[in-house]
Amino acid sequence: MKALVTGAAGFIGSHLCEYLIEKGCEVVGIDSFTDYYPRSIKESNIAGLKDCGGFEFVEASLIEASLAKLLEGVEAVFHQSAQAGVRASWGESFKIYTDNNILATQMLLEACKDRPIKKFVYASSSSVYGDTTDLPMRETSLPAPVSPYGVSKLAAEHLCRLYFKNFSVPTVSLRYFTVYGARQRPDMAFHRFFRWALEGKPIEVYGDGKQSRDFTHVSDIVEANWLAFEKASSGEVFNIGGGSRITLNEVIEIIKEMTGVNFEVRYKDVQKGDVRHTSADMTKAKEVLGYDPKISVEEGLRREYEWIKDFMRR
Amino acid sequence: MGVSQELLDILACPKCKGDIHLNESKNGLICDNCKLLYEIKDDIPIMLIDEAKPIEE
Ligand SMILES: NC(=O)c1ccc[n+]([C@@H]2O[C@H](COP(=O)([O-])OP(=O)(O)OC[C@H]3O[C@@H](n4cnc5c(N)ncnc54)[C@H](O)[C@@H]3O)[C@@H](O)[C@H]2O)c1
Repeated sequence: MKALVTGAAGFIGSHLCEYLIEKGCEVVGIDSFTDYYPRSIKESNIAGLKDCGGFEFVEASLIEASLAKLLEGVEAVFHQSAQAGVRASWGESFKIYTDNNILATQMLLEACKDRPIKKFVYASSSSVYGDTTDLPMRETSLPAPVSPYGVSKLAAEHLCRLYFKNFSVPTVSLRYFTVYGARQRPDMAFHRFFRWALEGKPIEVYGDGKQSRDFTHVSDIVEANWLAFEKASSGEVFNIGGGSRITLNEVIEIIKEMTGVNFEVRYKDVQKGDVRHTSADMTKAKEVLGYDPKISVEEGLRREYEWIKDFMRR
Repeated sequence: MGVSQELLDILACPKCKGDIHLNESKNGLICDNCKLLYEIKDDIPIMLIDEAKPIEE
């Protein structure tokens, strides 16, 4: 089976490519190396993949690439590329979000019309829900994002549904809940916490640390993509969480214990666009996809810690 | 490793969507129509219009 993975050099995309190669798929990866975080990190994400047979990689943006040719022979599209980051999505930079998250998705969907694609899996986000107190978050709840990033991810999700309804592109949207693990983006909380701890610096937390997240290990996310390819009915949306909700303060305690560093924690102002709690209702993903997250937060943090020690030595 | 034929077959010029071909030194892809060179660095073809180099006649 031949798959196209967008955002292939990113955190999640690179893991997904490895998983697909392992499954025996042929993979075409595309990534434009946006400057949201350093190119060198993304290059190291795909360093191992480049020597794998069955992996082709092109540096291009979905907005200008000749997608028709890239899609030749492709049966599965895993659309992971996006401009990430909730806090950076305000103000002038919103255009980067409309371009890479909305326009790029529309162009990819357009290119997928009338092609023998079996499934188009879109990486959506729990940020589409916004700051609700009605937990756990259900796919049927009214989405009300509180960040421009969330708005752009929701808009693209709607486009996926539209292209299924009108042009039978077999789209499925997976709403990922905060993803972590090896290669986690350098702007994300766990990555920063580990780095600061190892550098002997105080840890900075936005808010009081009592905010909670349904943290999801990247290997569970990757597995969910495969299950969605195999089992999801088109036009549907699924929550993909990690199975348990924990506060940032609890995570910080685990990191203290793991690293053996007794760092200082500095609490800062809550950032605009951040939500208080996230928690995934996964009834649907369990029933339809047979999704069952396997990695506990402790185990997942241990894996990220092992990676980051190595990463910081480079 | 070099850029494989399979990959070359599915690439096109991002500007005109037309055909491209390897240059003689095999470190770039040329679009004759747009007179642009897309470099290949570390085996990665960089198919970005902004990064393309105009070819002198
Ligand atoms: N990490 C999380 O916690 C999380 C949570 C929910 C949803 N998501 C979604 O998962 C996906 C992957 O996220 P990630 O954390 O791996 O981010 P990432 O930034 O590491 O990866 C995204 C990649 O997409 C590439 N890209 C951006 N615009 C592009 C374009 N126009 N053409 C080609 N490539 C482009 C970037 O260069 C980057 O390498 C994104 O769609 C994101 O919105 C992530």
